Amino acid sequence: MSVYKHDYRPFAGKVTPRWMRIYVLSRYGAAEAWSSKITVGLFVLSLLPLVIFLIGIYLANNPLARALIVKGSSGAIDIDAGYFLKMLEFQSWLALILTAWIAPRLISFDLADNALPILLSHPVSRFGYVLGKFLAMFMFLSIVTWIPCLLLFAYQAYSSPLPWFAAHLSIAAGLFSGAILWITVLSILGLALSSWVKWRVVATGAIFAAVFVPAGVGAIMSAILRTRWGFLLNLPMMMSVLWQRMLGAHPIFAEKYALPTPAILAMLLASCVCFVAMLNARIRAREVVRG
Amino acid sequence: MADTVGSFSRSFAQQPWALWRRQAGRLTLIEVRRNLFSWKASWIYFLAFVPTLLIFIHGLVDRHFVEGISDDTNVLAGIVQFYYVRLGIFFGCLGIFSRLIRGEMIERSLHFYLLSPVRREILLLSKFAAGSISAVLLFETAMVANIALMYGPFGAAGRDYVFHGAGLAQSEAYLVIVPLACLGYGAVFLLLSMMFKNPTPAAMLVLGWEAINPVLPSVLQKISVASYLRHLMPVSIPGEGIFALLTVETEPVSGWAAALGLLLLIAVVLTYSCYRMRRLEIRYTTE
Repeated sequence: MSVYKHDYRPFAGKVTPRWMRIYVLSRYGAAEAWSSKITVGLFVLSLLPLVIFLIGIYLANNPLARALIVKGSSGAIDIDAGYFLKMLEFQSWLALILTAWIAPRLISFDLADNALPILLSHPVSRFGYVLGKFLAMFMFLSIVTWIPCLLLFAYQAYSSPLPWFAAHLSIAAGLFSGAILWITVLSILGLALSSWVKWRVVATGAIFAAVFVPAGVGAIMSAILRTRWGFLLNLPMMMSVLWQRMLGAHPIFAEKYALPTPAILAMLLASCVCFVAMLNARIRAREVVRG
Repeated sequence: MADTVGSFSRSFAQQPWALWRRQAGRLTLIEVRRNLFSWKASWIYFLAFVPTLLIFIHGLVDRHFVEGISDDTNVLAGIVQFYYVRLGIFFGCLGIFSRLIRGEMIERSLHFYLLSPVRREILLLSKFAAGSISAVLLFETAMVANIALMYGPFGAAGRDYVFHGAGLAQSEAYLVIVPLACLGYGAVFLLLSMMFKNPTPAAMLVLGWEAINPVLPSVLQKISVASYLRHLMPVSIPGEGIFALLTVETEPVSGWAAALGLLLLIAVVLTYSCYRMRRLEIRYTTE
């Protein structure tokens, strides 16, 4: 039968519910992220510190094993807020590396190949598109941050000979909220920068630079202008202070550098608003033709 | 032996040096224009001049007493040690030098150069020269401006400190450190951009390597740009907390030895880059 004799009729099958459509994007985004062997390598690498922390918890709760393995050392390992803070910090910085690698893969290809108009011609809104990519990023980062941290917390609660869980529930809450906050900021930052940079190579560098260069500028500002407010540009420092307060650990930085929590939260919120504005400006169904 | 030397010198003299110089000059000029006068390069201006802007604001806002010179000297040392060497020049050179070869591959324009009758070594060295000129010009200008703006508001005392006091040696040291850092990081990133499709993860490993370098054995410390620069710093600012790791005292090395060591490292990296450039093949489909 000739092609022109075909009649076009609407799809009669079961339509994916509207709210489920963003998961299609998330699923394909996750598949794209996992398609690289380097992603798998980085993922495995990011789980290695957790093994060390797991061994630490095991040794802390087993005096016999501690005596056998750590010979000649009578010092007990304290599993407290400081221990979980170190764990969260390790995992969070590994999450930054993963973001720099994965976020450009989720967006840059669509923009560089002018695929965005085709994607947005489907029944997916711009918000849905960004949310789908965000969820892909967020779920990936969850696997290396709050999920394993809470699992280790649960293991500590299980293996502790003393009643431990109820007394330290604030640590679990701090781990969860601190990690969620960090991976939300990272996901939005990664997607926003990737949407503005055409080349994946440059986007990876830009994500690192966006975290470390303002930190340096903030340090200069604080040193020159003799003010602590310059540290509001220092994302690593702000997050460390926030995590320390959320987990109830001992202060990491000197009192003179301490920033109020509302100021840190306001700065993070302002940064996220800027990143969302960047995404809003860039994620549009248009095709750029040069030359 | 004498015959070998004689034939080598004859063949050396017979090379078309004038043509190579002309080709290198043209290539360098094209790249310098692209690096310095395009909107894409504006972020490098930001990296270079953001401390200058902050120092300028400090000059306008704060009052300057003679006793404050030593404080500002420490701040300037911190800016060079922690900002320029670790972040500003590092990321600036990553952007400039990664673009020279890898950027052409991504834009699918490198084959035009490779098909033209230009030796690949000339192409690579010209691009390196262009990147170096751009980076040195930007960061050196920023450094001069930083020194002028830092000590200018002190008036006669500031001028005296810079031209007749300890400030002269410090300024000279900074004006040597900045170009050496640009050349060192530039050579490393040019090589990385030829070795990897995405040189950024490797560059981050370099950043980590530079950070942990002071605590490594002295043999490994020689494979680092920052370790040579550390010996040239006129004022050493100790880090606090975890940053103290970055400022562990090492075996003292004279300034000349450190500068020559770094130049030797750059020469080795560039020689290997030339070797890789000779064997470079492009498959745009895999980029």
